[in-house]
Amino acid sequence: KERREEKEKLRIRFPSAMSGEEEENAAELKIGDEFLKAKCLMNCEVSLILEHKYEQLQQVSEDPMNQVSQVFEKSLQYVKRFSRYKNPDAVRQVREILSRHQLTEFELCVLGNLCPETAEEAVAMVPSLKTKGRAHSDEAIEKMLNDLSLVKRFE
Amino acid sequence: MFCLSELEDTVRVPPSDLNLPLEVAIKKALQKLFLDKVLSIGLCVSIYGIKSIEGGFVLPGDGAATYKVVFRIVVFRPFVGEVIAAKFKESDSNGLRLTLGFFEDVYVPAPLIPTPNRCEPDPYNRNQMRWVWKYGDDEFIIDDSCQQIKFRVENISYPPVPTERAEDAKPFAPMVVTGTIDDDGLGPVSWWEACAPISDDED
Repeated sequence: KERREEKEKLRIRFPSAMSGEEEENAAELKIGDEFLKAKCLMNCEVSLILEHKYEQLQQVSEDPMNQVSQVFEKSLQYVKRFSRYKNPDAVRQVREILSRHQLTEFELCVLGNLCPETAEEAVAMVPSLKTKGRAHSDEAIEKMLNDLSLVKRFE
Repeated sequence: MFCLSELEDTVRVPPSDLNLPLEVAIKKALQKLFLDKVLSIGLCVSIYGIKSIEGGFVLPGDGAATYKVVFRIVVFRPFVGEVIAAKFKESDSNGLRLTLGFFEDVYVPAPLIPTPNRCEPDPYNRNQMRWVWKYGDDEFIIDDSCQQIKFRVENISYPPVPTERAEDAKPFAPMVVTGTIDDDGLGPVSWWEACAPISDDED
C-alpha cells in the first residue's frame, strides 16, 4: 500500500511520467510532450501509432496479420486513408501549430482531421470557433490554416 | 474521433499463458477483453501501452494469476456535432448506411438527406434503393462511386444487448450513430469540389 501511495504522488507531480514501455513508444515515434498529455487524437497521430504497432508485430512473428484483429487492420486502413500528414515531424508540427490557437482538444482534432482550406469551411466544420465567447476572427483562422498549409505533407 | 483513455482493470492470465513474458501475457489478456468491444468510452481499437502491473496473486481454486493493470487504449469515440469522413455502404427506403471500415453502423435517415430528393430502385443493384439529390437542374446520385462522404453526428445510441434473436436477424450493433448530410460541406466531397469560391463582396 505504501508503494502504491508513492506511485500516486509521483504521478501527480509528473503527470507525463511514463513506464518503460511507453517511453520507448514515444521516443521511437518522436512525438512531443504536447501529444502525451492530449486525450483526443488526430487521424494522422493514430496512423503513426497503429503503423508502429504493426511494424512491431511484424518483427516478432512471421505472420503478423494473424495476430492483428480485424478492427485493428480496418482502423489502420481508415486513418491512413483519411490522414493528410504522414511523417512524424509533420504530425508533431500540426499539433504544435493548432495548439497555439486557443482551441479545445476536440476542435483541434476535427480541424487536423478535415483540413479545411478556408475560414468559411473551418467554421462550417467547427461552428464553435465562432461562438463560446472566444470568437476567432476570420483573419486569425486564415492565419492558422495558412501556417498548416506550410507543413510539408510528404517526405 | 479517436481518443487515448487510461484505464485500470483486473486481468486474469490463464495458466496456459503463464510461461510467456509477463507484459506479453497481460497484453494478450487485455486484447481479448477490450479489442473490438464497445465500452462507455467508445470502441476499443488498440492497446497503446501498459503503465503498471501489480499483483500476480493466484486466488484459491483458480489456476490463473490475477493482476491489477493500469494501461492506455486507443478508442474510437464519436461526438455529437463532430464531422466525420466515411464511405457509402448501402441504402434503402429508410435512408443511407455509411461505413468507416472498422465501424459500420452509421445511418443517415431520409429526413437528414438534403431536399429535394427522391428514392428510386438502383438500376445496378436489384435489391437496393438509391437516393438522388436534385439541386437546380443537376441531379446527384449517392452511391458507392462517392469517394468520401462527410456527415455530422446527430445522435449516438447504445442499444441494450438482446436476450433472444431470430436466426436471420442483423448482427447486433452495440453502438449506432445517426448522422446528417444536409448542411454546408456535408455529403459527398465531390458536391463541394465543383463549387466556385464564394465572392467576398457578400459582406
